[in-house]
Amino acid sequence: MILVKNGHVIDPVNGINEEMDLFIKNGRISSEFKINEKECEVIDAKGKLVVAGAIDIHAHIAARKINSGRAMRPEEFRRVRQKTGKFRAAVGRTLLTAPAIGYEYVKMGYTTAIEPATPSLYTLHTHEELDSIPIIDKAALPLFGNWHLVFKFIAENDIEKLASFISWVLEKMKGYGVKVVNPGGVEAWMYGSNAHSIDDLVPYYDVSVRDIITGLIKANEMLDLPHSIHIHCNNLGEPGNYETTVDTMKLANGIRNNRRQVLHVTHVQFNAFSGSGWKDMGSGTEEIIKLVNKSDNITIDMGQVIFGHATTMTADGPFQFDLHKLLKNKWINLDVELETGTGVVPLIYRPSSPVHSVMWAIALELGLLVNPDKNVISTDYPNGGPFDRYPYIMTLLLSRKYREKEMERAHKYLQRAANLPSIDIERTLEDIVKMTRSSPARILGMHNKGHLGEGADADVVVYDINPAEFNPDKYREIEKALSSALFTIKGGTVVVKNGKIAGDIWGRTMWVDATLRTTAEIIEPDLEEYFNYYTVNRENYGVEERWMRRAERIEVG
Amino acid sequence: MLIIKPKIDFEVNVEAEITPDIATDLEYAKSFTVYYGKLEMSLAELFEVEKEGDSKVIVLEGDFSRVKWIGKGMLDGEIIVRGNAGANYGAFMKGGKIVIEGNADDWIGAEMEGGEIIVKGDAKNLIGCPYWGDLEGMKGGKIVIEGNAGNYIGEKMVSGEIEVRGKAGDFIGTEMKGGLITIHGDCGIVGGDMKAGEIRIGGIFELVPAFRETDDVFVGDVNVKGKGIVRVLTL
Repeated sequence: MILVKNGHVIDPVNGINEEMDLFIKNGRISSEFKINEKECEVIDAKGKLVVAGAIDIHAHIAARKINSGRAMRPEEFRRVRQKTGKFRAAVGRTLLTAPAIGYEYVKMGYTTAIEPATPSLYTLHTHEELDSIPIIDKAALPLFGNWHLVFKFIAENDIEKLASFISWVLEKMKGYGVKVVNPGGVEAWMYGSNAHSIDDLVPYYDVSVRDIITGLIKANEMLDLPHSIHIHCNNLGEPGNYETTVDTMKLANGIRNNRRQVLHVTHVQFNAFSGSGWKDMGSGTEEIIKLVNKSDNITIDMGQVIFGHATTMTADGPFQFDLHKLLKNKWINLDVELETGTGVVPLIYRPSSPVHSVMWAIALELGLLVNPDKNVISTDYPNGGPFDRYPYIMTLLLSRKYREKEMERAHKYLQRAANLPSIDIERTLEDIVKMTRSSPARILGMHNKGHLGEGADADVVVYDINPAEFNPDKYREIEKALSSALFTIKGGTVVVKNGKIAGDIWGRTMWVDATLRTTAEIIEPDLEEYFNYYTVNRENYGVEERWMRRAERIEVG
Repeated sequence: MLIIKPKIDFEVNVEAEITPDIATDLEYAKSFTVYYGKLEMSLAELFEVEKEGDSKVIVLEGDFSRVKWIGKGMLDGEIIVRGNAGANYGAFMKGGKIVIEGNADDWIGAEMEGGEIIVKGDAKNLIGCPYWGDLEGMKGGKIVIEGNAGNYIGEKMVSGEIEVRGKAGDFIGTEMKGGLITIHGDCGIVGGDMKAGEIRIGGIFELVPAFRETDDVFVGDVNVKGKGIVRVLTL
């Protein structure tokens, strides 16, 4: 039992922005008011900010990609973050080891992270990796956008079969939701082309990108999964791609869900370029921001880039190949047979580069102008940079002075190619709490997270920030306070004290079971045929719950 | 000047990242942290340390073949090894001079940016190379091996000079981007994926079959559109 006394609690879900006590019992927030202080661990949070644990909606923390990246980049592991002592050793610059991922997250107050792209064929490995990450709760989203069976069901225009297939995969893979990466494009690349607009067709299947996205949205809504489909749009990283992003967002028109959005567009920064080439590339956020703000069925996350080292890794094979050709840097391509592809390329974002500076500004425009209820802070770790720089992003959003200072460092081209210099907005602490806690929780359908109401998971963070005397001009102090939490409590255990790891526990891996909503028999002949020709036997395909360290089944239906 | 002698025969490797900067302060030098295997120790616990005069020179006397990382990142001054040297001497060094009078181990002058390293005996592999994963090797300075050298010399070298007076092994100037490598004796495979720079060889060698022959030199590697030059030294 823990009592957090006199802290200034900000909890937008329950409309709290005032001084109050929090009582934690059995790993949950309790509303009991007769508390015997002698039985509790008392934390005095007078004049400190108390919020729920943050959620990273999109970070490649496990799966085959990051491990291949680790193998390709031995130079990443020269930075020692923590030596072996009471807790495990933690190393890594942008590609962290599994213990480092868990420790760095909780140090800055994050208690949940989602691995957003796991190829089903290799998901057993993803769960092994997730099981090695200490403290935080996690989940994985299997990839669907380039799967032959998905094309087949969509070509047959059979949404019911597609829904059955999704729930079959989620159950087999212990996945949480539906991830779509460059739908149709990765498959087309296997024949030497790509998908450049939502009307492009997949070779040998009579389906367009449009059909794939709408089909998956409809199937996802038929199952009413906790999370909507989670899409990485076509044409990522190409000048002028904001038009494709807007077209993709418009596909959600007319489909709704009362609880949440029906389309989550991820790392939008990489998909919000204007221009016809790298010479006149600029910010194309204007239309996207308008569209997201007026629609209540679309949400986004930022995909901020951070100046310095990064490692790009996506399931978007063709994009990674283009990037490798552009940068002439080392590259790994991994083909995942009939399901998807993958590539990894290291990259350094330089303030002296006009393109990188504009990318940096685009994400901030999204962060400042998109409604915080529909927006989430992300770096698309490790594509935009390491996640341990989230406090930097938060501080940039909070403080105009800090932004101006950083803009001086960036290339001058930013001044005419981006709208950022004309934006005066400073986000409030409550906005930041929304963009890191309540919004991702609602978008992911995690009702016990992102708030501090009764029954919520006892993921509580105390920061050394006094909201009553908050001054955005003191940005160095804010960034420092956000980087090292005074206390992080995960599931009722104190895991961080004064920015240092104080407790090591194992978090849960959440997965969604929607099999009650579907009948597996209708896809039986298709699966039978598929596995007749696949490299892996059906019996050997998938992950069993008993193999996972702490699985939590979330049943819908 | 600081004179350092090992007190014992080392059973495991010692990691001592000492530079001539410590030569002027005896107390600081004695308490300098080094690692003996996994044990954290002070320099004086493993070595006899004496001071003579105030010059920025370190003299290592005895067998240092199990002592690694001497002169890492040094800026100026001089280190003289009167005996055999271990691995990683002069890695990342930016200036000054290292003289090894005996033989040297692997990774001499890895990723060095300036200064000079002279090995009077033989040197082993990976001379002036980048550490695993890095994209640039030696960026400046000069390495002279008066004896023979092993495999991998000047991989991904950007600038600077490496000279081997004796023979060398395989993989000379792989992925080289600039600078000069001279091998006076025989050597193995030369110039794989070479982009720019020059390699001069006096003995018999094997050139990767991706170089164009011009009047007096070979130009390649054509697979990576390289303009590197391989020149045969004549007497």
